[in-house]
Amino acid sequence: MTQPLWAQPIEALAPRLRSCKLSPVALTQACLERIEQVDGRLQSFIHVSSSALDQAHKAEREIKAGRWRGPLHGIPVGVKDNYLTRDMPTTAGTVAPGITFPMRDSAAAVRLRNAGAVLIGKTRTHEFAWGNVTPPVRNPWDLTRVPSGSSGGSAAALAAGLCTAALGSDTGGSIRMPASVTNTVGLKATFGRVSRDGVVPHSWSLDHAGPLTRTVADAAHMLSVLAGYDPADPACQAQPVPDYTKALRKQVKGLRLGVCRNHFFERNQQDVERAVERAIDDLAARGATVHEFRLPLLEYGLGAIFAIELASSTAYHDVSLRAGRTPHFQPDVRSLVEIGRFVTAPDYLKAEQYRTVLMEALRKVFDTVDVVLGPTTPITAWKVGEWTVDVGGKQESVLAASWRFTYPYNLTGLPAISVPCGFDRNRLPIGLQIAGRPFDELTVLRVAHAYEREHPWKDELPNL
Amino acid sequence: MSDPDPYRDVLGVVLTPERLQENLTSFDDIRREIEKLRQLDLTDVHPAILFDPTGPYRREGGK
Repeated sequence: MTQPLWAQPIEALAPRLRSCKLSPVALTQACLERIEQVDGRLQSFIHVSSSALDQAHKAEREIKAGRWRGPLHGIPVGVKDNYLTRDMPTTAGTVAPGITFPMRDSAAAVRLRNAGAVLIGKTRTHEFAWGNVTPPVRNPWDLTRVPSGSSGGSAAALAAGLCTAALGSDTGGSIRMPASVTNTVGLKATFGRVSRDGVVPHSWSLDHAGPLTRTVADAAHMLSVLAGYDPADPACQAQPVPDYTKALRKQVKGLRLGVCRNHFFERNQQDVERAVERAIDDLAARGATVHEFRLPLLEYGLGAIFAIELASSTAYHDVSLRAGRTPHFQPDVRSLVEIGRFVTAPDYLKAEQYRTVLMEALRKVFDTVDVVLGPTTPITAWKVGEWTVDVGGKQESVLAASWRFTYPYNLTGLPAISVPCGFDRNRLPIGLQIAGRPFDELTVLRVAHAYEREHPWKDELPNL
Repeated sequence: MSDPDPYRDVLGVVLTPERLQENLTSFDDIRREIEKLRQLDLTDVHPAILFDPTGPYRREGGK
């Protein structure tokens, strides 16, 4: 059965747009109507572009004139509200007085516009991209639950068909966690692969910019546009950018799959663990080999990421702290920004030393494996306002549990993707995380696509 | 001269006593994790962040 326009991925839409069998105007109109119909319940957009249809008309004229720019031409993309845009206000999720952001395009927005994408609106972020929720956004799979965060607006909008792809940012898992709990694909490429110029900083050495998409192929298309050196981002690296779509359709036979048995498999919800074990078995059945290992150092990771993230965020917000603006922040964000002062400089540097040893330990792992697989999160979407969840029969704080498997790849900067891998007993989505060597997004995409081909969870839609 | 206040004068935390207490309570779980990190002997390990004096020159052509 053909899915409605708003539910189709770039890989299905692009050939029809290119051949003029589908108009970018009709596609954009379908997304705008969908926003009108369902976003009152989801609250995923903070701003809808008044020029979306004009952008679509421009794309249509160009395509008709034979000036096709590539697979994103005419594709409606939601932009997380911490990316600067020249034609839409940026709030970074804050209403605190005295904090404004310039009306200029971030590097990612420039790249998307140059690729012909329609920037349809700004999606909600939790304030300053903090946290693992995105109030007031709801999860389209169950409106009483969160879409995680901080890119929860992008994930909810995408999952509900309000845009065809979206931008997110990921400091401890903020692209991959929302993707995991909404049955979408979230890709955090290697640190330095995608420019963060014009993305409101949260924690300079942990922040990554990247896409959320319906399919792995769409993630490859988005990364092909977003990746590349940008001197305006001091962390951006001048590495060659391959054609990421070449990773698609390759088999996994002969690939070595690493599975870290401590940390990633010690405490998961039962349905999550079962789904991920099944995914690993399925990939092994197609000729990949499984290599189990342990990484005891991960025990120290939470302290390290807290030290870096808190200290960095507090440094960024120091002016607001001294100006007395933090009481206007949301209560959880206010606390996090204020308590960053308790992290000492030696703690921060110790965390940076820890990153060196963790990166080295993972380098040794990658001597013997090609990717590392595991759950994206130990839990599925939790209820709005819930602060503790049952994880493997034990009550645990959502703050500690939700990002346990994602932050190691922010500390190490390695590429990691979350791809849908089934549903729990409450029909809530589960994510499989695949991580790779630095700048080896090709292999990460290859394994993700091989899994997705055989398990089309992506075709399941929320019932809104 | 009065003794410096460890929060206000040393850490730069300018908050009411009640708010300070709330934040200390919020920080408790995090403090425990950082405390674990402190137990590691990383004396001979260079931090992951490297100082790069060439940055401004590379960025000359940037925005």
